[in-house]
Amino acid sequence: MSLKSLTRDWEPMSYGFLDASAKREIRRKMLKAIAVPGCQMPYASREVPMARGWGTGGLQISCTLLNPKTKVKVIDQGADDSVNAASIRRFLARVSGAPTTLDTLEADLIQSRHRIPEEKLRDNQVLVLQVPNPEPLRPVQPNMSIARQMHADADYGRMWLQLYEQILRAGRVMQGASYPSLVNGRFVMTPSPIPRWDVPKLHMAKHLTILSAGREKRLHAVPPFTRVEPLVFDDVPYRVEEHGALTCTRSGARGFFMNEIPQDDGSSAFEISDSEYGVKTLRQRDGEAVTFGDTWYKHGEMAQ
Amino acid sequence: MAHPLPSVPETRSNATFDALMWALSRPGLIRTLPEPGMDGLIDALIDSECRVHTDDETLARQIARTGAEAVPIAAADHVFLTAFPDAAPLDHLSLGSDLYPETGATLILPARIGSGSRLRLTGPGVDGEESLRIDGLPANFWTRRRALIRYPMGFELFLIDGTSVVGLPRSTEVELL
Repeated sequence: MSLKSLTRDWEPMSYGFLDASAKREIRRKMLKAIAVPGCQMPYASREVPMARGWGTGGLQISCTLLNPKTKVKVIDQGADDSVNAASIRRFLARVSGAPTTLDTLEADLIQSRHRIPEEKLRDNQVLVLQVPNPEPLRPVQPNMSIARQMHADADYGRMWLQLYEQILRAGRVMQGASYPSLVNGRFVMTPSPIPRWDVPKLHMAKHLTILSAGREKRLHAVPPFTRVEPLVFDDVPYRVEEHGALTCTRSGARGFFMNEIPQDDGSSAFEISDSEYGVKTLRQRDGEAVTFGDTWYKHGEMAQ
Repeated sequence: MAHPLPSVPETRSNATFDALMWALSRPGLIRTLPEPGMDGLIDALIDSECRVHTDDETLARQIARTGAEAVPIAAADHVFLTAFPDAAPLDHLSLGSDLYPETGATLILPARIGSGSRLRLTGPGVDGEESLRIDGLPANFWTRRRALIRYPMGFELFLIDGTSVVGLPRSTEVELL
């Protein structure tokens, strides 16, 4: 054994920004997260050149998975062109040389803040969701040691109580995003602040979803073909946002999740939230040949 | 613009993990490792934060170089076995706890994939059901596994056959046909 055999060759920087030991730790935790769907696994959450709370959790997962052949798509609230999405995409490309794309169908790895694309993901795609607060029990139990015990006991009575109180006070469930969902019949997880519209897309999906919270130093996963059931009462069905009948004012796309844009006269205009789907619709209108993937929602209804 | 190129070990670890991740995500489907054997798994997963048990001297030397602590099987978070004549070591594996399921061990075993006893797999990651043939494991292996795992406690299993790898997470129900 010599000193040379104990050390690695000098490199100007680690490939994919993270050093090898950080990647190994994330790999070990990702395997455990996949093995116990919906269970939050603690990890060290290294420093990345971005403030905590801006997607550092998702970024670390992406940096670990990337190689020069991985096609990366980054979205922020559905849009590929927001500052956060564009910056993360450029960062990932710079540290790894990975090609980037805006098209959901071409991507191998999709890092997303708070949306799942409208086109169905395939069984070789990985969706990385950025998570601000991974603990669904936090609103009902701020002490995380007790919350851990509640997860261990599958003691989710207070989650149901919270929903019941919302129905009692407001006549409906007021939880708009991060709707608590039961994964594989055992762990309640937060699906990250995706709208209610997107939660059914995780149920028995073909793709692998990894949810990572950099500030909170936890990650959890939803493997393919895993049950993800939003918590609902038998007599109060789960309802998604009523966007099925809305039409995008820019592209004319219809039946998908929309951004509401307030107008001067007090009314609202709507724009499709999945920006690349809107762009594709515009291109098709202009006579270009465009390939649309199969979508989860058809005519504004979730396909069964 | 110039961008960093992955080193050879980085490329290998990345490809190894990709195979392991998809093997565990889709139990029963056979994935391909970039190189045969367990060496790649050690490079991709093991470092000084791990406690590892192995019965093989060559692997033990490689593991020692990573800085991982060599421990008896009961204290190990990763267990690499090259000979597995009977299922007794399973009883000593760390299964984690309800509070900390992630402390359950990862067991890596050699096996012959594609021949031998037929298994029916169900659970997360399996589209309906999957069938798989595994040979080279002791006869009572699957009954012991089933008796030990009380979800979410349990252990993860990777079966290695040359460059082929199959992953069986604790969430998978295995039925011996």
